[in-house]
Amino acid sequence: MQVEFFGVPRQRAGISVLELQADTLGQLLGTLAVRIPSLGEFITVDRLHPTFVANLNGDKFVSDPETPLGEDDRLLILSADAGG
Amino acid sequence: MPFGYHGCYLRIDVSSGTSERMPLPDAVLRQFIGGSGLGVKLLLDEGAAHVDPLAPEAPLVFAFSPLVGSPLTTSAKFAVVGKSPLTERINDSLASSGFAIAGKGCGCDAIVIVGRAPELSVLIIEDAGMHLEPAAEYRGATCKETETALKARLGAGFRVASIGPAGERLVRYATISHDGRHAGRGGSGAVLGAKNIKAIAVRGTQRTQWAHPSELTALSRSLSKRSFGPATAKYRELGTATNLLTFNRFGALPTRNFQSGTFEEAASISPEQLSATRSKTRKSCMACTIGCEHIYSHGGSGVRVEYESLFALGSLCGVGDADAVLRASQRCDELGLDTISTGGTIAFAMECVERGWLDKGLDKGMDAPWLKFGDGDAMLRAIELIGSREGPGDLLAEGSRRAAHVIGHDSIAIAPQVKGLEIPGYEPRALQTMALGFAVGARGADHNRSGAYEVDFSDKVDRRHVTLDAVRHAIDTEDKAALMDSLIICKFLRGVLTDFHAEAAEMLRNVTGWDVSAAELRDTARRIVSAKRHFNLLAGWTPAEDTLPERFLTTPLPNDPEASLSRDRLDALVAEYHRQRGWSAAETALQKL
Repeated sequence: MQVEFFGVPRQRAGISVLELQADTLGQLLGTLAVRIPSLGEFITVDRLHPTFVANLNGDKFVSDPETPLGEDDRLLILSADAGG
Repeated sequence: MPFGYHGCYLRIDVSSGTSERMPLPDAVLRQFIGGSGLGVKLLLDEGAAHVDPLAPEAPLVFAFSPLVGSPLTTSAKFAVVGKSPLTERINDSLASSGFAIAGKGCGCDAIVIVGRAPELSVLIIEDAGMHLEPAAEYRGATCKETETALKARLGAGFRVASIGPAGERLVRYATISHDGRHAGRGGSGAVLGAKNIKAIAVRGTQRTQWAHPSELTALSRSLSKRSFGPATAKYRELGTATNLLTFNRFGALPTRNFQSGTFEEAASISPEQLSATRSKTRKSCMACTIGCEHIYSHGGSGVRVEYESLFALGSLCGVGDADAVLRASQRCDELGLDTISTGGTIAFAMECVERGWLDKGLDKGMDAPWLKFGDGDAMLRAIELIGSREGPGDLLAEGSRRAAHVIGHDSIAIAPQVKGLEIPGYEPRALQTMALGFAVGARGADHNRSGAYEVDFSDKVDRRHVTLDAVRHAIDTEDKAALMDSLIICKFLRGVLTDFHAEAAEMLRNVTGWDVSAAELRDTARRIVSAKRHFNLLAGWTPAEDTLPERFLTTPLPNDPEASLSRDRLDALVAEYHRQRGWSAAETALQKL
């Protein structure tokens, strides 16, 4: 699956897209914290810091670490305060 | 008199050049706090709802707050409140920095200006009093030129708020500028221009005391420390412009006058791209620890870049040329134009040209066949014409709603406005809680008076299929905004405050000495929102105004068929909003006050 970064998450990650394999949101975040240490301060074990949010495929915002992820899914990570 | 206040406002009649200090009862201050809340209360007392906003008798209020002058971060702010010449409804626009501190230092909690000076003038207010000076030499000067020249002439202790050429020419969405920031929306600059006031210069030394100084200092330190943390990283590191690519990904970036929610050239005007190709500096308003202003180099100078300017002068006009967008933003700042209404009105005109409605046949040389989507030079030409009210610029200076009534062809269906105020950069069909916030907004479509987009970017709702459950969330964001605009603190602090009402109450307790609770502040917020609605009712508001243009209710977004909002659904949301507000009928709203 693909992870897309926007705003501060993109700046911290230094990339806009990353290919990863994970069965759940919690697994994916745990892997991300290891793969991209600069994101580590925004990930606590298997959850995002409240200033970041995750969205699945542009449709649904998700936070439960048990949220299942599929091979074709795209997870978007962005700043929580999306407005101006 | 409570701590934090002077207990009076300064009422200035610029027709006669006289002023009077008017008492402000404690009860009024506690009920309306300051900023937008106090401003609306003063407008109601002045009977402003029934007055032509460009008439001499129309009052314009500059309202400070008990927190101004305190060590609380972001508290150096002021509200400009009046009846909008663009919407004919309530308008409260906020700006930041030293004008707030110097203005309150003149020994008043607000300044109310009425009348019309006999010639273009500068209004000078000091501890000792006020007077008017001729301003003929500043006629046609930009906001920055005026501010710089006046500070040089009067002395560095003065803080200056001014209008640009657009305000002088009564462009209905002209701004009032101070220190590079603008009280931007709704045309306060035209109201000041109609009073023949080019600028207001303030200098004062009167300070108010705080009820609990040591507790206030401790709270301020804590807040400042937290404001350096992750909750404000977005504003520090990229600024509001970071929304651009995010919104584009979500199909929520208004493009070509809301004909699409994605812009194929978004990357070229994104802050990520601008940062990669230009030098950038950061700036803070006075007394702010966040520092959200990102200033990009352009043509030998710097341009402040905000999301709303990028969207309005970029994707909304189909312009992907970063140089043209930056130049347009710069010219709006210089001329004193609201970038959202400028971009919204030009984009509307571009679509009218596309449809063959504005390319020929209009009176007074208003046709503009050259005004095409994607043409940055044409956009810049239109901005100049708006600022000077020449040719088609005279029509566009009226805003999209009035222009639509002249153009005809049922173009009002595609005029991107609510109550006459052009819609900010949030595609309503893709962000439907925000659609409700826009529809019911007292000053029209606005992202600063309703933060309902926060709800759409959360797991509280399905943003493209919102239900009545979204209404309470929309009300909550509107109430919070009303409170923040009255305290006044910057909305960029909202992520820092873990328990907003409790912490706001603590701020107010420490400054004023009032035993104010979170519950009281919730009531205060509702009172202020109701007061705005009350003003609108007196000004002629009808329930039919709480809606969106027909385009949004009949046409799904072409790139996202799920982003569809029917008239029935919006009507149901609005009805539920009125019900939860207790505004099932106009009379009820009046009684609740």
